Amino acid sequence: MQEDRISSNESEGAFNDFIEDTVEDAIEEIINEGDLDTLGDRGSEIIIEMDDIVPPTFSYGDEGEGGGKGGRKPGTEGGKLVFNLPFNRFMELLAEKLRLPNLKKEGKGKIKEVSYEFKTFGPTGVILDKKRTFKRALRSSIGMGKYDPARGKYTVDFMRRDRRYKIPVRVENPKYKAVVFYMGDISYSTHGQRLEMEKRLVNFIKNWLDYNYGVRNVEHRFFVHDVKAYEVQEQEFYRVGNIGGTRAFIAFDLIYQVAFNEYDINSTNFYAFYFGDGEVFGNDSKEIAGILRESIMPVFNRVGILEVLPSQWSKLVLDLSKDFVKNKIIRLSKIHRKSDTINAIKTLFQEV
Amino acid sequence: MRLISTDKTLSHLEKRVLHYAEEMGRTLPEIRFFILDGIEFASLLEKHVYPTSPVNIWEGKRMVTKKFRIESGQESSLYYEVVQTGNPSYAYLNNTNSPMIQATVMAHVVGHCEFSELNVLQDSNPDRTEYVMYLVKKVNAGQHQMGEKHYLTYWNACESVIPLIAPHSQYNLEHSVEGDLPPQPEKIVPKVEEETSREFFRPFSHTMDSLLKYQDSENAWEIDRQKRDRREQISRTGYRLYRPCQDILGFLRTFSPTSAAEKAILDYMYVSHSKHDFVVRTQIMNEGWAMYWEKKIMLELFKEKAVNGIIDYAKIFSGVCAPRPFFMRNPYHLGYHLWNHIEELYRTGKVTLDYIEEKDVEAREKWDRKSDLDPLECMKHLVKTTTDYEFLRRFLTEELVFEFHLNRIFKKQAEMYGISKDAVVKEDNYFIWLDPKMVKDEMLSFFTHFNKPRIYIVDTEFIDGGLLLYHRNDGRALRKSWIEPTLKNINFIWKSAASLVSGNKLYTYSNRKFEEKEIAETSFEEVLERMDSNKKPFTL
Repeated sequence: MQEDRISSNESEGAFNDFIEDTVEDAIEEIINEGDLDTLGDRGSEIIIEMDDIVPPTFSYGDEGEGGGKGGRKPGTEGGKLVFNLPFNRFMELLAEKLRLPNLKKEGKGKIKEVSYEFKTFGPTGVILDKKRTFKRALRSSIGMGKYDPARGKYTVDFMRRDRRYKIPVRVENPKYKAVVFYMGDISYSTHGQRLEMEKRLVNFIKNWLDYNYGVRNVEHRFFVHDVKAYEVQEQEFYRVGNIGGTRAFIAFDLIYQVAFNEYDINSTNFYAFYFGDGEVFGNDSKEIAGILRESIMPVFNRVGILEVLPSQWSKLVLDLSKDFVKNKIIRLSKIHRKSDTINAIKTLFQEV
Repeated sequence: MRLISTDKTLSHLEKRVLHYAEEMGRTLPEIRFFILDGIEFASLLEKHVYPTSPVNIWEGKRMVTKKFRIESGQESSLYYEVVQTGNPSYAYLNNTNSPMIQATVMAHVVGHCEFSELNVLQDSNPDRTEYVMYLVKKVNAGQHQMGEKHYLTYWNACESVIPLIAPHSQYNLEHSVEGDLPPQPEKIVPKVEEETSREFFRPFSHTMDSLLKYQDSENAWEIDRQKRDRREQISRTGYRLYRPCQDILGFLRTFSPTSAAEKAILDYMYVSHSKHDFVVRTQIMNEGWAMYWEKKIMLELFKEKAVNGIIDYAKIFSGVCAPRPFFMRNPYHLGYHLWNHIEELYRTGKVTLDYIEEKDVEAREKWDRKSDLDPLECMKHLVKTTTDYEFLRRFLTEELVFEFHLNRIFKKQAEMYGISKDAVVKEDNYFIWLDPKMVKDEMLSFFTHFNKPRIYIVDTEFIDGGLLLYHRNDGRALRKSWIEPTLKNINFIWKSAASLVSGNKLYTYSNRKFEEKEIAETSFEEVLERMDSNKKPFTL
């Protein structure tokens, strides 16, 4: 027999490819239905559950739940295959499907993230590499004739010079920092379908920016407004509500003040997303257009303004679209139904 | 993977085991031992005990699952013995086992290899492992011709037909199809002692034959037509199905229209899986035979102190040979004890007409008449002439069913299975004992269906030159949702319509459409009768 080792690596690879294809199909489904609820907590692994595969045969037995779909594709027996998909891989696949480009990061080289990796080995150190040490010791023992199985000698001497230690190497990576402002209009009722849509979008934006910058490097801040604007905790962002007058400009003004006063605008990447029904009064739209053009656009990487379930009186996006046509920074979108979610994401993050 | 010669201790043990096997007069092929690590062992098992296999997702899935189970401690990577019989036979040892266990494995393998050489089903053939490795190379070469997608699709379709292999069925390819059958792999035919046969002179005369033979002139044209039909079909298709064929993968492999690459896949699947049919028909005899010789050889090894740890061996042996109820049958236990019982029967002359005809109970009990026959030679003769069915039918008596605890079930288990009180012949606080006759009948009935649906090809020109399969009804319905995908796969391999008759339903998959029709229920005997009289088994 010529084989040195019996392994199923190639078949395992084929199975993994099959799983990869299945995951891609699952993501396709998520995208088509606009269902982004699979995303869990920030940066957590995605648990994918799929029907177990078995080749269909003529057999006795109870009907399984899934019941042999597939024909020449693998069938299913009603069992489940459960596996974890790393968060980054999931986002990578999602970005690939949505054709989302990587976000441009600013602040490169100004702040460094330092880590240590064990890439080299040397004769001195703290952490002994047992495998390498043993290899060298064995080689030396063979050379010195102490280890010679043919003559019944099995001694392996460990000498100081055979020791190999893992040596840490300082690795510096540029550290990017990003701040994301989420603005919500609390003067309209955010519950039911509207709340779900908003949550889904915020969740995606959070995950997408976490994926691009690294979970630890992104700060998410939430602001709400009616006739006044103030900062809230994430949970409250969806809860607070007030029926009455509204003025969206003050929210944009507040986040600009926060960005300008609390962060170094040269090394921080700013993002802002506004969610509301788009019903604005007076010259609110004009003021928003003004602050966007004059103050926010020069500093922010991306600003998204989204009308969630707009009514016939919604005109914020309409008004702003006159000033920001195909703008690289300012993105405008409307969501009428769940399936618009993906289009909204594309509008927010795709290249113009 | 490394050769046993790289390990001095094991190499020595191998020599001692083979020495005793030879001394005990065993008929052995060349046995090559290899040492594997745990993952290699797991991988070997997933490749059906061949060192290589073509790429396929099923093996991948099983290995991924197995690795996860081993790594998470849910499964041990220790396996007792793995051998691929044939000449040469390949036996694999796990590098984590102690020398005593390795010796046990080697001694056990000796039993399996001899059984494979001698048995009536002629399991052993030359270069089996090498042939499979050659087929793997052919499949791998074919994969490039087919393209990855078509290759995987074809492979997946073939997976559906794997359970439909029956090379040893009475309705196998050899006994169902006439025409251009491919040459069968070379068999190692055991040397059976020639019986002195007497020559008879038979009267022979063409003239007398034609005068005496009854000629039905009314049917003469019908007989002539059938002969012409038969000749015509064989010359047109190369084969003629004259009886139901249960070896469906064998049939597809031989007669389905395939490219060279597709044929290589079917060949590999058939050759690498056909051994299961032999195993299922002879498992009790085979494992019992291996345990019997394992123990004999091991006792010699302990005597000469080639290995230590006889107490540990006794523990392992009794663990392997622990009794189980008949439905969870333990072939090691049942086979080993039956062989010992048979040896005793021959030794005391109880396999004789005198003993069978003896009416006096006391005389029967005290029966001990030495016979001229060597018990071991008689046992060898049994291996050469019987399979599990006949083995159990002849030797498993009702007393032995009790003695081997085959009919003993835990009370709680019996309640769980809903066993009726009529079937119980004895009980105590913990166990119940079932009627031994019923147990034996149940054990024998396993060999008619092997707990699998019996499916046959009964027509090769049914709808648009399509295959017609017949499910022999045994009171259990097929899993309905799997009929369509399975027929779809057969349709893909046969490249024409595929139909199945099950009960009073006709299922057809043709031209990407699946249809279900009601038809009159027909028994297997009727199908046989129709085919015997050269009629179509089913017409629409």
